[in-house]
Amino acid sequence: MAVCTVHPTQSLNPTCSISKPSSFFGHSPRQLVFLASPACNSSTIPRGRDGVLRVTCSSGDTIVIGLAADSGCGKSTFMRRLTSVFGGAAEPPKGGNPDSNTLISDTTTVICLDDYHSLDRTGRKEKGVTALDPRANDFDLMYEQVKALKEGKAVDKPIYNHVTGLLDPPELIKPPKILVIEGLHPMFDPRVRELLDFSIYLDISNEVKFAWKIQRDMAERGHSLESIKASIEARKPDFDAYIDPQKQYADAVIEVLPTQLIPDDNEGKVLRVRLIMKEGVQYFKPVYLFDEGSTISWVPCGRKLTCSYPGIKFAYGPDSYFGHEVSVLEMDGQFDRLDELIYVESHLSNISTKFYGEITQQMLKHSDFPGSNNGTGLFQTIVGLKIRDLFEQITEAKAGASLQAAKA
Amino acid sequence: MASLTTSTPIALNKPFESRKSQPVKVPFLSFAWKPSAVELRLNRGVLIRPVAAAPDKIEDKVVESIKQAEEACAGNPVSGECVAAWDEVEELSAAASHARDKQKSTDALETFCKDNPETEECRTYDN
Repeated sequence: MAVCTVHPTQSLNPTCSISKPSSFFGHSPRQLVFLASPACNSSTIPRGRDGVLRVTCSSGDTIVIGLAADSGCGKSTFMRRLTSVFGGAAEPPKGGNPDSNTLISDTTTVICLDDYHSLDRTGRKEKGVTALDPRANDFDLMYEQVKALKEGKAVDKPIYNHVTGLLDPPELIKPPKILVIEGLHPMFDPRVRELLDFSIYLDISNEVKFAWKIQRDMAERGHSLESIKASIEARKPDFDAYIDPQKQYADAVIEVLPTQLIPDDNEGKVLRVRLIMKEGVQYFKPVYLFDEGSTISWVPCGRKLTCSYPGIKFAYGPDSYFGHEVSVLEMDGQFDRLDELIYVESHLSNISTKFYGEITQQMLKHSDFPGSNNGTGLFQTIVGLKIRDLFEQITEAKAGASLQAAKA
Repeated sequence: MASLTTSTPIALNKPFESRKSQPVKVPFLSFAWKPSAVELRLNRGVLIRPVAAAPDKIEDKVVESIKQAEEACAGNPVSGECVAAWDEVEELSAAASHARDKQKSTDALETFCKDNPETEECRTYDN
C-alpha cells in the first residue's frame, strides 16, 4: 500500500492518512478512490477555489540532488542540461513571483539555495558578511524544508529576489520526483548532506573563473578589469573557507582547468575538464574508458578521425581525492564536428545512455549553451544521464521493497 | 504588502523595464519604488515621491555598487564592509547577465502568445 500525502502546507495530523491501493511505480494515476482514516476530518483537507478536493500523489520517493557552484543560482547551463535529460523544459513557476529562482519541469524541481538567506542584501552589508558566509544562511530552515520535500510534503519556501536583494513572500513548492538543490552551500550542513542522494561540485580554477567573469562582465558598463579582479579577490577568503571544502563530500566533481594543449594560453577558450567520480557510491558506476581501473591516455584524432587544432586528448585513471578512492576521466580540447563527438561517445563505457548516440543528441539539442563543444558540456550531460540512472535504480529498489512488504 | 503585476499585453510588456510596483520599504539605502504612469493610476492617487531614487535597472545598480565597493575598500581593504560590497557587485553582475540572457531569448509576441493562444494575433493556421 503506498501512502499518499495530500498537499496542504500545514503538516497533517499524523493519524490522518489517505491511502490508495498499491499501484505500479512509474504509472501515476491521479484519479482514485481514497480511503480516509477516521482521524481525517474533511475540513483539514483544503479544497480548491471550485470546491473540488485536489490531491496529487507522491509516494514519498523524491530523490534529492545537490549541486554546489559559485556565483549564485539562476537558469544556469548545468541545470538546463540536467532537466533536459529528464525530459521537458524547466520553467519558473507560472503565475508566481517573476523573480522566483525556482525552475519546475514535469519530473524535476530546481531550488536555489539563495532562497534560504537569513540576511538580505542590506542586512549583509550592515554585518559586513558575504553571501558565502554561513552566518547569512538559515540552515535549519533549509534542512527542514528539504526533509519535508523528500518525505513528500509541500513547503512554503521563501524567495530571495536577486534583483532587489530582498526576501520576498514565500511560494508553494510541491514535492517532485527529482529535487535539485543548487547553490553555494548544499553540502555545508551535515544534516542536509545526509538527505542528498547524489551531490556534485563544480570546481572552476582561478584562471578560468577570471576569464569567464571577464567575458561576462566586460560588456557591463562600470566594470573594468580591476573591478572584476578586485571582486574575485575580495570573495576568495570566504570562498576558500566555506565553499571549497564542500568538494570533499561530493560524489562527482567537475573540475575546469586551463588547457595543456596550447602553451601559454590565457584566453580560457579551450578547457581541460576533469570528471572526478567517487568509487563505492551506491547506484553510481563511474564512467570509464576502455578498461575499468587502468590508466589510459587517448588521443582520438588520427587515421579514423581528423581533428582541427588543438585537437582532443582524453585521460582516465584511478586516483585518490581527499582520502577517497576516485576514478578520473579527463578531456582536454574541443569538439569541432559532430562525428568527433559520436566517435568519443562510442568509446566511453558505463555512460548510462538508453540508446547509441544519446549524449551526442543531448549536446546537439543544446548546441547554443556555453561549453557545448568541450568537456564541460560533455561531462555535465554524462552526469545528467548518471543521475537519471540513479533515479531509476532507486525507484526500482523502492518499488521492489514495497512489493515485498505488501506480500509479507 | 501586496505586489501587483500588470499583465497588459504586448505594448506594456516590455522586457527592459520591470513593471511591478514593489512594496514600499523604508530601510536605509534604497527606495525600491519609482512611480510611473501605470503605477500612479493603480495607487488611486496616493503619490509618494522618493527623496533619493535608487536605480531601477540592474545595469545602473551594478555601476552604483561598484562605486560603493571602491569607496568602502578605499578605507580598509580587508574589512567586512569591503568584502560584502564586492560580494554585492558580484551578485548584481550575475543578475545583470542573467537578465541579459533572458532578454535575448524572449520575444514579446511569443511570451504573450504562450499565455493567450486564442487571441487574434496568435492564431495559427495549419491547413
